[in-house]
Amino acid sequence: MHIPDGYLSPETYIAGYAVAVPLLAYSVRKLKKELNENSLPLVATLTALSFLVMMINVPIPGGTSGHAIGTAVISILFNPWIAFLSLSIVLLIQALVFGDGGITAWAIASLGMGFLAAFTASFIYKLFYRLNKNIALFLAGWFSIVVASLFVAVVLGIQPMIAHDEKGNPLFFPFDLKITIPAIVGSHMLYFGVIEGIYTLTVFKFLEKINSQVFSDVSKEA
Amino acid sequence: MFLKRHKKLFFILGIFFFLIPVGLLSEYPAWGEWDVDFFKESLGFIPEGIKKSTNSINLIPDYSINGLNDVVSYYISAIVGVALIFLFFWGLKVVLKNER
Repeated sequence: MHIPDGYLSPETYIAGYAVAVPLLAYSVRKLKKELNENSLPLVATLTALSFLVMMINVPIPGGTSGHAIGTAVISILFNPWIAFLSLSIVLLIQALVFGDGGITAWAIASLGMGFLAAFTASFIYKLFYRLNKNIALFLAGWFSIVVASLFVAVVLGIQPMIAHDEKGNPLFFPFDLKITIPAIVGSHMLYFGVIEGIYTLTVFKFLEKINSQVFSDVSKEA
Repeated sequence: MFLKRHKKLFFILGIFFFLIPVGLLSEYPAWGEWDVDFFKESLGFIPEGIKKSTNSINLIPDYSINGLNDVVSYYISAIVGVALIFLFFWGLKVVLKNER
């Protein structure tokens, strides 16, 4: 889902920036209210963890690979706005320092893996929390990355419609929705969603166990 | 600062840190994150926009450092990335403190 430079038409990535930047500005304001001496180290650690887990590429059948993103657990432990900001920082560092994902595509990536994944996780967790907390955690992870993948698949899949030359050759990402949706969303439903679900559940449980003190301070707000 | 109080938090970070070379086992990229040649092979041409934007300048492109072994490069990349993230939050903490 790390869209490289050159895959998105300027119409798309400018629109992405126009939506993402105001939302990010708002998330910084949100963060100011909620962060304190206790929560800041945890947010920083979970953000770093998100960066590390994205380095662990898992090969899947069909000759591709992918990884968890770690958005859901931040969203559930804190709130979706903080998870959105955390992921945006990770994606910015990946784009600028490592060339993993393009800088033009950064806003779109951050809307997908940050904003949409975070709000989906929070919504799903609240929906299933009463039923069973473990199932809710797993599903929050699963849905968060699947929704993000759907967003990326749609944004990529509409590129051939948005921009092509006189001969009809695409100028940017060349494959349409019929290809991107099954390829991207399908693999996330089958594999990466499951990985994200397990990651969300494991990290949450682990934090609960080793750091019940820090945890109890923040979980009240969740 | 929080090094002492949140020592246990670093435990989980350490686990994932040591696991990252697993990510190098796959020789295949994520779907869509192909080399430019992929388009040449599958379409017969490289879309104009993709052709024009292939040279971005990065400190450690693709998490690999010239002349260094893949695993070592990956670990150095992880340290750089994690350090930048903590730097950002440390900076944020300073800014927030000054505002209060």
